[in-house]
Amino acid sequence: MTSLAPASKGAAQRGRLGFAALVLLYGVVVVVCLASLLAAGDLSWGRNPWDNLVKSVGEFARPSFVDIWFGPERLEYRSSDGTLLRVENRREVEAQFLWALGRATWTTFQIATLGSLLAALLALPLGLASARNLKAPRWLARSANSVLDVSRAIHTLVFGLVLVGIVGLGPMAGILAIALHSMGTYGKLYAESIETLDMGAVDAVRATGASGSQVFFSAVWPSVLPQFVSNHLYVWEFNIRDSTILGLIGAGGLGLLISEAVSLFQWSRLASILLVVIALVTLFDTVSRRIRQALA
Amino acid sequence: MNQSRNPAAVELNHVEVVAGGRRLLRIAQLRIEPGERVALVGPNGAGKSSLLRVLGGFLAPAQGRVTVLGRSWGTQENASLSGGALRNLRAEVGQVMQGLHLVPRLTARENVILGALARADAMPLWRSWSRLYPAHLRNEADQALAELGMAERADMRADRLSGGERQKVGLARLKLQRPRLVLADEPTSALDPNATLDACRSLCATAQGATLLSVVHNTDLLAPLADRVIGLANGEIVFDVPVHGITPQRLQALYTDTPPYAYLRAPTP
Repeated sequence: MTSLAPASKGAAQRGRLGFAALVLLYGVVVVVCLASLLAAGDLSWGRNPWDNLVKSVGEFARPSFVDIWFGPERLEYRSSDGTLLRVENRREVEAQFLWALGRATWTTFQIATLGSLLAALLALPLGLASARNLKAPRWLARSANSVLDVSRAIHTLVFGLVLVGIVGLGPMAGILAIALHSMGTYGKLYAESIETLDMGAVDAVRATGASGSQVFFSAVWPSVLPQFVSNHLYVWEFNIRDSTILGLIGAGGLGLLISEAVSLFQWSRLASILLVVIALVTLFDTVSRRIRQALA
Repeated sequence: MNQSRNPAAVELNHVEVVAGGRRLLRIAQLRIEPGERVALVGPNGAGKSSLLRVLGGFLAPAQGRVTVLGRSWGTQENASLSGGALRNLRAEVGQVMQGLHLVPRLTARENVILGALARADAMPLWRSWSRLYPAHLRNEADQALAELGMAERADMRADRLSGGERQKVGLARLKLQRPRLVLADEPTSALDPNATLDACRSLCATAQGATLLSVVHNTDLLAPLADRVIGLANGEIVFDVPVHGITPQRLQALYTDTPPYAYLRAPTP
């Protein structure tokens, strides 16, 4: 006993020193990043950030959809010498935009939903194979694991860019991109749910002489199903957020509208789009949290 | 392999079990006849649970031959049983393990029904997946629970049960398995004195006509649970006597004369 006390004290001291060294190392990394950017002159604020900010925020604060009710019904575009170039009905134009926005939102939801489901199905065998306590053959576990690692490492957008080249523009590319990236997330979550199982309970069922599939469906499945559902809702929710930007690369959905609005500096339209995104994500978040709580 | 040549319920020949560089068991000869009721006693780490795990096919012997209910394995023949033979063996060997392991999200009744999975009249896979169990198994499970005073807990989820209640569910599950050999590792460790007697009664009823091998710490339970008592220390059999041959002195010696625990008796410096 007496010999243990000083050793553990020394260990605690070493731990604290080690932590201080880590903090110092982190500080060095941050300083190096900052200093090298400064030295290259890449940390600039642009030409007139303040004016740009004020202008953008001003437009941003008035989302475009209010024009449906308050916009000018006859907006005239004239050249500098006064010739009438074009007349448009703002209200009608905005109503059309809102309709397009609604359709894009639906597409985004479709992409996220089908992509998540596909990912969940693809990841199920991989997750089961890579869960350490289910003792799959080593080569199988290892290859399942590396498939999952690769799929997690590559961003949805990168998958999307490649897939747009393969299956063409549109939601199909988005669905596949979501599926391929989320597969990695699902697989890892599945494996972790299974690894936290009470193996004693599984062994107890195995001890009754039940076959492998009986053990799986009677002892493993009921314990992990609620966690699987909870994981599914979580990733689905995450993918709704993720799929809003997939349109940026032509994979369908809201992203296309976002990229249009940003390229044309239509901040008020961007505001409309973001409001819809926020509403969608918040709504889904609330619903999925409710369901997950009920499952616990 | 054939039962006529080897009618013993359990037979061990020169069995040694090693795990992690530590010798858990060394038993030269042990034979338990069908229908015998045997209690294992001994201090912690004596190898009682290891012995049960060997007999249940969860722990392979490093040397020697193990025969349980007419099936042999060990170094001299096939090192361990094939998957199918092991399953058949386990179907006939009922186990009550330490640690009160139930499937947490299933109800008490459903956990009890799991005992019947390997029985001949077992249900198809979709029934255990959908948790729509056949009526005769539900009735049987309810009856087994009622015998242990657990009738009103049948629909409660296993992770909401107390330790003692879980142990009772484990005993009811054992009953539905209809085993020919029962291996019970401290089957009443979490029970109050009243429930302990119920549990012993249930265990003996389950083991009616079968062989019962239980690990017991409470010496009051030796008589109701056993005809024969085997004392283990440091993985070896110290004594093997009929239950009436057990004296308090003998047990006292077994529990205290074991080197790892000898310091407990040493005078404090």
